[in-house]
Amino acid sequence: MLELKELTKHFGEVKAADHISFQVGKGEIFGLLGENGAGKTTTLRLLATMLKPTFGTAAIAGYDLVKEPEKVRSSIGILFGGETGLYDRLTAAENIEYFGELNNMEKTKLKERVKELSEIFGMQEFINRRTGKFSRGMKQKVAFARSIVHNPDIMLFDEPTAGLDVSAIRDIHEFILDCKKDGKTIIFSSHTMSEVEKLCDKVGIIHKGKLADYGTIPELMAKYNEKSLEEVFIRLAGEKI
Amino acid sequence: MSWKHVWIVFKKEVKDMIRDKRTLISNILIPIILMPLLFTLMGGGIEKMEKDITENITVALAPSSNTEEMRNFAVNELFVDNPNIKLIEIEGDPVEAIRNDDVRFVLDIDENYIEKLENCQPYSVTVLYDQSDTKSGGSFGIVASAIEQYSQKVVAQRLVDMNIDLNILQPVQIQQSNAADEKGSGNMMLMMILPMLAAILIAVGGIPAATDLVAGEKERGTFEPLLTTQSGRMSILLGKYMTVTLFSIICVMAQLIGVFIGSIVSPGFLTMGGTGADLSFYIPPVALLLTVLITISLGMVFAGVQLAVSTYSRSFKEAQTYMSFLMIISMIPAYATMMMQPDDVQLYMFFVPLLNAIASLKMVLGNVINYTYLGIALATSVAYVFISLVLAASMFNKEKVLFRS
Ligand SMILES: Nc1ncnc2c1ncn2[C@@H]1O[C@H](COP(=O)(O)OP(=O)(O)OP(=O)(O)O)[C@@H](O)[C@H]1O
Ligand SMILES: [Mg+2]
Repeated sequence: MLELKELTKHFGEVKAADHISFQVGKGEIFGLLGENGAGKTTTLRLLATMLKPTFGTAAIAGYDLVKEPEKVRSSIGILFGGETGLYDRLTAAENIEYFGELNNMEKTKLKERVKELSEIFGMQEFINRRTGKFSRGMKQKVAFARSIVHNPDIMLFDEPTAGLDVSAIRDIHEFILDCKKDGKTIIFSSHTMSEVEKLCDKVGIIHKGKLADYGTIPELMAKYNEKSLEEVFIRLAGEKI
Repeated sequence: MSWKHVWIVFKKEVKDMIRDKRTLISNILIPIILMPLLFTLMGGGIEKMEKDITENITVALAPSSNTEEMRNFAVNELFVDNPNIKLIEIEGDPVEAIRNDDVRFVLDIDENYIEKLENCQPYSVTVLYDQSDTKSGGSFGIVASAIEQYSQKVVAQRLVDMNIDLNILQPVQIQQSNAADEKGSGNMMLMMILPMLAAILIAVGGIPAATDLVAGEKERGTFEPLLTTQSGRMSILLGKYMTVTLFSIICVMAQLIGVFIGSIVSPGFLTMGGTGADLSFYIPPVALLLTVLITISLGMVFAGVQLAVSTYSRSFKEAQTYMSFLMIISMIPAYATMMMQPDDVQLYMFFVPLLNAIASLKMVLGNVINYTYLGIALATSVAYVFISLVLAASMFNKEKVLFRS
């Protein structure tokens, strides 16, 4: 479903992503672990076509990242950062429709889809209200709906739970698992070991732009003879003393 | 790039901006009420002054000539044709009275004037007034011509008494003829104010939109999802660009509406206290079209630059700071050329951004139209539009700028 082939991004001297290669199968959840500045966001931005790779490419849902960025964009949905960015002066429905329209959805289909999403996320009561005064939870639902309005096969989340309270985090976890249930392929970055252990089928550990290793959690623990993912992470990405 | 996506972005942005009360206030309300307000405040003053100068002229007699007979002479002979000149009584020192604004003119009439008049000798009328006072200066002409009129009447009477034809006094008769275009010679006030305000408002008008549309979007966290939709980056940029242009043009239109309302509320301002007869002036349609196009291009240039600045900014606040700087830059040429007359425009101005629009507006409002100059202004404007768009597009494609935090 998703295959990175030596994906590389340089910002001047900084090698933010350095020949990163891994594969994620359909319906899998892949966790990206790494310290601050390791290159997680950069990798996800490359996959989301926001950045152009310096070298390498990726195959996403069968499309080439470099040659067919538009096709790639039609197959991905993103939720970046802890912030649920919405247009305050638009209603929830308008927020979602805007992204649907930009993703070339047909008008009547889009209306149906918004209705469907509003039922899925329980937004019927506030779907036609402006989002400016929404509570955090309400905003989050709208942001979820927006990210999957065009029914993408692949979801990219960059630190989706950073800075959120417990119930908001639980909602996000549920959303991610629901996406998986729908057969979506998911890549997300995180600093939280427990979250990764709970959700991920596979984990990749990035260190200074390089993919140190990746595999299922039991595989990695066995390979490095460590008792927990955290130990593996420290070993691969922690600063050696 | 797809026009469908451009249109979707444009529609959404316009809707979003219109729902923002601040935009409505700064782009529509303020320009609309600013003009009538300015007109009423300044126009009222001008009108009152004009009225004071021509209608409420007070004259007193110096103590030495303040007799019953002199008063009769002043009222019934000297100023008999000028009911706007009023003879009043003052107490004390005439100089003091003038300084206190109790009276505008004090006349000292030759005490032997009757005798001299009968002997056909000239006699003097001394007019004392405050020459540093604008109103007195303006009124002096009226008083002087009243005295002159009286003097001519006396001459005429004498000639009639001597059986001489009056025409021998007037070998030449001056006929006035206006060399300015028959269709109107432009309007001074509009010529001064409109280009200046248009230049400033067109710079200001796009600011709220430009700030919000990229820097604001980055800050809210909507920018990244937007860039991962299927609409290409250039479609997004162009949709936003059109929105910013639209709002800067709306701002100028609101100003024009304001001028129109102002000219109804306080017509005296535009005609400098006149009756309003010379308010109608004519602009040839081609010149009008050219200036409209030049003004719109100016709005587009600003839109491009402002979007580039907004893209470059890390935050909303930072964008606002740069924008106010941009606004000040546009104010300098606008104010510097406020007093410039349409025949003072120079060729180089039509090559300089902003100045070219101001100079074109001046020419057209002053009805001193040079189509070559207008053509140059339009051509350079279009070139600047192109440059500003390229600038905005290059910012929009700079990953380092777009994704820095
Ligand atoms: N737009 C950019 N321009 C220049 N350098 C950048 C840019 N974006 C990221 N970098 C650099 O690339 C490196 C990787 O950054 P990245 O944001 O991908 O790390 P991260 O793993 O997401 O870190 P964090 O956990 O703090 O979010 C860092 O050294 C960063 O300074
Ligand atoms: Mg990051």
